[in-house]
Amino acid sequence: MDMINVQNLKMYYKTQKGFVQAVEDVSFNIEKGEAMGLVGESGCGKTTIGMCIMKLLASNAQILDGHIYFDNMDLVPKDEDEMRPIRWKGISMIFQAAMNALNPVIRIEDQIIEAIVTHDDVTKREAQERVAKLYQLVGIDPARAREYPHEYSGGMKQRAVIAMALACDPKFIIADEPTTALDVIVQDQIITEIKKLQKKLHMTMMYISHDISVIAESCDRIAVMYAGNIAEYAEARSLFKHPLHPYTQGLMNSFPSIRGPRKKLISIPGEPPQLISPPSGCRFHPRCPRAKEICTQVIPEFKEYEEKHFAACHFAGG
Amino acid sequence: MDMKRFIIKRLAEILITMFIIITLIFILFRAMPGDPASLMLSPRMTPEIKHIIRERFGLDKPLYVQYLVYMRNLLHGQFGMSFYYNQDVYGILRQKLPQTILLFTSATALAYIVGIYLGRIIAWRRGSMLEYGATVGGILFYTMPIFWFGLICIWVLSFKLDIFPIGGFKTPEIWMSTANSSSLALIFDILRHLALPLTCLTVWIFAGDMLLMRNSMLETLREDYILTARAKGLNESTIRNKHAGRNAMLPVTTAIALSMADSFSGGVLTETVFSWQGLGSTLVEATLNYDYPLAQGAFILLAAVLLLAVLAADILYVYLDPRIKY
Amino acid sequence: MEISRKKKWEIMTRGMKNNWNFFRKNKLGMAGIVILVFFLIVALLSPIPPLIDEMYVPLTGVDENIIGFSSPSLKHPLGTDYVGRDLMSQLMHGTVIALMVGITAAFMSVVIGTVAGLVSGYYGKTIDMFISRFEDIILTLPGLPLLIIVASAVGKMSVWNIVIFIGALGWAGTGKVIRSQVLSLRERPYVESARISGASDARIIFRHIAPNILPLSFLYMTFGVTGAILTEASLSFIGLGDPNNVSWGMMLQWCFSTGYTFSAPFWLLPPGICITLLTMSFYFIGRAMDEIINPRTRER
Repeated sequence: MDMINVQNLKMYYKTQKGFVQAVEDVSFNIEKGEAMGLVGESGCGKTTIGMCIMKLLASNAQILDGHIYFDNMDLVPKDEDEMRPIRWKGISMIFQAAMNALNPVIRIEDQIIEAIVTHDDVTKREAQERVAKLYQLVGIDPARAREYPHEYSGGMKQRAVIAMALACDPKFIIADEPTTALDVIVQDQIITEIKKLQKKLHMTMMYISHDISVIAESCDRIAVMYAGNIAEYAEARSLFKHPLHPYTQGLMNSFPSIRGPRKKLISIPGEPPQLISPPSGCRFHPRCPRAKEICTQVIPEFKEYEEKHFAACHFAGG
Repeated sequence: MDMKRFIIKRLAEILITMFIIITLIFILFRAMPGDPASLMLSPRMTPEIKHIIRERFGLDKPLYVQYLVYMRNLLHGQFGMSFYYNQDVYGILRQKLPQTILLFTSATALAYIVGIYLGRIIAWRRGSMLEYGATVGGILFYTMPIFWFGLICIWVLSFKLDIFPIGGFKTPEIWMSTANSSSLALIFDILRHLALPLTCLTVWIFAGDMLLMRNSMLETLREDYILTARAKGLNESTIRNKHAGRNAMLPVTTAIALSMADSFSGGVLTETVFSWQGLGSTLVEATLNYDYPLAQGAFILLAAVLLLAVLAADILYVYLDPRIKY
Repeated sequence: MEISRKKKWEIMTRGMKNNWNFFRKNKLGMAGIVILVFFLIVALLSPIPPLIDEMYVPLTGVDENIIGFSSPSLKHPLGTDYVGRDLMSQLMHGTVIALMVGITAAFMSVVIGTVAGLVSGYYGKTIDMFISRFEDIILTLPGLPLLIIVASAVGKMSVWNIVIFIGALGWAGTGKVIRSQVLSLRERPYVESARISGASDARIIFRHIAPNILPLSFLYMTFGVTGAILTEASLSFIGLGDPNNVSWGMMLQWCFSTGYTFSAPFWLLPPGICITLLTMSFYFIGRAMDEIINPRTRER
């Protein structure tokens, strides 16, 4: 049963200099209870996908084509008023706490209560109790709920953001770089926490990160994004065992491995393209070691090559 | 109690600043060529009065003694004798003080509230006619000389349309027969006189507040917690007022404290144009009349009120921003 | 690799050309420049009326045929004041005063403020403490009342006194802003490397830091001009201006004190409109420059 089903999503930003083709023909699905990872370099569009699903786009962003099915409901044609009840109650988001995701002049408890009373018909008292339970769930002392964001440490803020995301019992949660900018020890704690919660509450999640090692630890299926396209989408094991897309292969090669013989790290030459005028055909062809004539002209189809293993490459595998 | 300590600390700073100001004034006047005694004594005074003042201020003693005596006298409210009115300076100023406080406090508060409210709305509706009109209006009032605006107000609203009185603080007839007029009528009278100068001064201060609030809102709206608020499915006015507004008004509150001195200058001009009997118009009048004791006294008192007003604005800021540790 | 002199000049001015092009697109900024140019022309033309006829001399020229106040006529486009002086030539002369006082006073306070900011920001420690405290005290003083009380002490005010006073008090704000800019620039890597390679303090300040804060200084100068023009007008209006020079504020003062406020719109309105327009022009120019220097305030 699909919780999320994105089909042929196309989203551009309109700027003074032209259209930035941020998301191009993206399709994927996430089943109920599944944790999907979305990984890619900075600027590849992974956060943008998350924003698209929640329709939290800037005023110059336009979804030009495609569908985003959430629980069999297409979100693309919905306007702000129609999206509001769905937000947080249906789909919520765990933000990067290193950002200013929490309003500095409002008490954290009040910020969570605000979300609760907007969507659920409860009294303030009941909302406060729910906050206390959430805090226990994520591992913060409930007595500290009345404090302000600047009084929390980085790890605590992240936990508070997680608690807030869970407040309305959403069906689907998007976690956008939840551990970036935290130190490794805290990072580990948070990832463990999220995994624990996901299993316990059977949450359906989309985990966005640029750090493939974090994604590998916590996700069932992983999608690799490059320059606004999904290059490859497979179950975690399958992806690591035999990556089909040259970009994924390049990523695997550029990570050192603790086990096995020491080998030289091969990085992928070049830089990601400017999305205002992306390369013709396959967007990866300028950096691809296996690029041929056809790659510069024809956009590769996103096909299923093995069971539940998709890739967009003319020469997948090999 | 941190707040108490904060206030006490600031009050101490104010005292030091006042001390410096008074010293500077003392030096300023004494540094001018001419007989220092003529600063306190006017030829119009009777010999008896001259003698009293000489004694009280130690005018025949060396300068540093005069300084100490001057300071001590100030603490007792002894500013000397006004040349023009032939009365004790402090007594005169005490009567003018409430008017200045009334005009200034209401203008600043009104300008702040309306400025924040309007600035918030126009930043939210970027690119609308409202924003355009308000911004142009704001710039217009910001660059217009306030006294000129006051004159035009008087001309149109008092002279031509006769809605408001031309100047002054109260209509003598109503006040002289207090037995016949109810206190409501008295208050109404003051309000009628207050209306124009208040409008004039408020509009002038408000222009700056509104423009700043608009800029502050635009910056605040880019913050991440606004995205969070949208993601939570909150409605527009909640996001605008509670999330954006509460943060955007912090720089404006700081700016109020910093621009208080400018507001005071505007207040002085307003009082002059509308013949509003406050410290500002007294200062101007005394200067034009070469009434040194009165001018000095008015200035010193004005400075003191200004410093207290800045303190009030600072306290407001500390109250609004939970991140400040004091 | 030797870069030719010509190339160096091109590179240096390329930045300026870019900025100018951007400025050109800013409607308000261009409007400001247009208004400013208009006033400059008026100021340059102002000596002409007295040359045509002696009755047009602003302060002393009196029309023999007119005694006192009169409404606009062919000979006197704005009428005459209470002793029969032509108001139009007064207005034109006021332009000269406004521009002179405004620009000179602002320039003075910006120079002092920039130097103070550079010194206190770069050297820090005690000298910074002194300068900053000094700035704090100046900033708490109410500008106009202070000028009034100083005028009271000094007695007579000339245009130059006014310029000096405004300049001497107006630098504190600029000083603070420049100081914080310098503080952040001081920690930049290129300054560090200059220091390590043995550059003297003066060289670092002039070669590396100053070029980056000059735009800010320039910006503050435009704001300073608006303040100076308004301050001079206010002082003159109160009656503390220079009696030997006709300024716009002075014109309004005469109008007000001789009781013609309500009966002479041609006397009351033009000076005020001129003050507003000239101030606005500098404000617009300043705003346009602000958008160039501080890209965050630009429209998308």
